[in-house]
Amino acid sequence: MNPQDNIVLTEAVFYTLLALYSPLHGYGIMQETGKMSGGRLRLSAGTLYGAISSMLEKGWIRALPGEEESRRKEYVITDLGKCIARTELTRLRELVENGTKIIE
Amino acid sequence: MTKTVRKLFFLWEYEKEEEWINQMAREGWMLIRTGFRKYVFEKGTPEEYTYRVELLDKGMNSKESNSYLIFLKDTGIELVGECNNWVYLRCKTAECRFDPGDRPLYNLTHLLKLQEFFNTLRNLFVTCIAACIVGILILEHFAPNPVVDFSKGFCTGFSMTMAFAILLATPFFRRINNKVKVAIKEMYTRE
Repeated sequence: MNPQDNIVLTEAVFYTLLALYSPLHGYGIMQETGKMSGGRLRLSAGTLYGAISSMLEKGWIRALPGEEESRRKEYVITDLGKCIARTELTRLRELVENGTKIIE
Repeated sequence: MTKTVRKLFFLWEYEKEEEWINQMAREGWMLIRTGFRKYVFEKGTPEEYTYRVELLDKGMNSKESNSYLIFLKDTGIELVGECNNWVYLRCKTAECRFDPGDRPLYNLTHLLKLQEFFNTLRNLFVTCIAACIVGILILEHFAPNPVVDFSKGFCTGFSMTMAFAILLATPFFRRINNKVKVAIKEMYTRE
């Protein structure tokens, strides 16, 4: 996927990308995203698993090499993932600017 | 203390099944094992666990399902039992990660799988009926003898039964199709 394409990330995906700026395993991502959003975002296991699988496939994150299959896997954001996150940030800024102009 | 309950839920009644299991948990009976129409409960603290019934994409022993279940285990979700590709999961209610927010998506995923299953079944039946009709037409060219007559009779009876089965199943098809429509609408109105 081209980073320049107009992609709108879901909250779960955006927060997961942010959390993975440092390596974390699944449960760590849940805790970190919960903390970042002040407890508002509670990712369910199913949602997070779906998000992780699709981001792995797109190459936005990668799994750190583990010793064996059954071990807890850790994930970390890739350069492409960082690029996607930055593009999303720009889009979110635009939303905030326009929202502020009109609403406030 | 444990108790075993035998109860039958149809394939499309997974919500009812899950609700029943959770109702048992509220009354202090925790599901610890399952089998075909068999549920084993253990006496525990009421509401200690929350349960969920889920349909896996692939078989229990596939790599995908395995990695999914390991992921769930890491997040505190325990596998209690399985039946075909259905799994019975539970987690401590206090730290529950079964978010009701992804319910619509979860429903839709299951319904689509059920729909596919029923459609495959129906296609199989229709193919059988078609084969029987072709068989009857071919048999028409043979001189009547006991074997030909029996085969003709068999084909007629068989295809009639199949057709009747499809007719009987029509309300279920309709119900599933309607449920899919409702689930899709729900997806749109979410967030």
